[in-house]
Amino acid sequence: MLSQLDRLSFTVDGRYADDSELQFIADYIRSFPIRAQTYLKLQELESKLMQQTYQKVRLIDPMLFNHNGNDITAKWKQDTLRVLRYTAVTVLMDDTDTLRDRLLLWFQTIMKAFNAQRSCDVTYQVLQEVVKQNLPHAQANLVCPILELNRRLLGGSL
Amino acid sequence: MVSTEASNPVKRKYPKKHNHYGFRDFFQFDPEKGTIMDWNDSQNILTTEDFIIGLVEGLEEEVGDASAATMYTIGCEWGQKDAFFFEKWFEREFDRNVRQTNLLFLLETWWWPFTSQGWGRWEVDMGDRKQGFMFINIFDSAVARTLGDVGKPVCFLYAGLFAGFFTELVKKQLSCIEIQCYSMGETYCKFLLGGQDRIDAAAFWLNEGATARDIEKRLRTGEVLR
Repeated sequence: MLSQLDRLSFTVDGRYADDSELQFIADYIRSFPIRAQTYLKLQELESKLMQQTYQKVRLIDPMLFNHNGNDITAKWKQDTLRVLRYTAVTVLMDDTDTLRDRLLLWFQTIMKAFNAQRSCDVTYQVLQEVVKQNLPHAQANLVCPILELNRRLLGGSL
Repeated sequence: MVSTEASNPVKRKYPKKHNHYGFRDFFQFDPEKGTIMDWNDSQNILTTEDFIIGLVEGLEEEVGDASAATMYTIGCEWGQKDAFFFEKWFEREFDRNVRQTNLLFLLETWWWPFTSQGWGRWEVDMGDRKQGFMFINIFDSAVARTLGDVGKPVCFLYAGLFAGFFTELVKKQLSCIEIQCYSMGETYCKFLLGGQDRIDAAAFWLNEGATARDIEKRLRTGEVLR
């Protein structure tokens, strides 16, 4: 949303925007109630989502929490929590460009440095399943595309 | 330029925020002072492509063929100084010594300010590190992008920067050469970093018409100049 507003202010320099150029603002206003509800829901369910995701990922591959013989569960939780919170604000603001610029492009290189792409691939795949189980369909539909973007960028397929 | 108090309000509030490389987080514009400070309190200036062309062509006019070596030397000094600067801000931000850190993470962290500043994204290939050399790819080099396809490598400043920084980091004299450049019509720039003997060999092969791929093969088979 903010990125789109920013772009709009450039493209309409010295003229009036037409209806199609303003459409995204109307769409955003219309979608704001469900965005706000989803944001609050993610905040409310944060620890539950984290716990369920952790347990499922652990079942899939416990070695994902082990790096060179060290238990990295705490680090995994810290990283996943950060991405989840950025995801929540991205749902609220409808701004994946900002998510990419402020977090994902940087975090992608860091995850690669630690060879954690497979862990990210599995984590954000599982988190999508957990979100679908815990949030109403319409809310999960707002969250999952962003989690999929996280998975593709951090999991190494982009 | 380093001040004790961070000039960036986001940094004052979140001094340990690591993902601060977005344009709005990384740079702090002060219209009253006319300054642009970055996250690490270095002063930045904005330049145009004309500035880069002026720098490269002006130097060529002044010193002729020696301009490549001059740019490389400038890069070396920059890299050496930046290694000390980096060590300080890294330790401040991560509360740990650069030598007790995962090497790839360390290198990514070093390069991120350069990415934000427009020097291009990079990729480090350390697969041959044990053999004493490594490759660095630069996507969207500011110098090559500006000069366009001129049929020869132009990123001497980058080569010097890598040589200077890595020499300080590993405390061993290293050199660097660009073996593939966007300005030769390639899609990205490729640098070889290693000891002087290998860089001399690569320079010779390059001069004889070898491609980056040929050079990689020859190095991996242990070929050096006699």
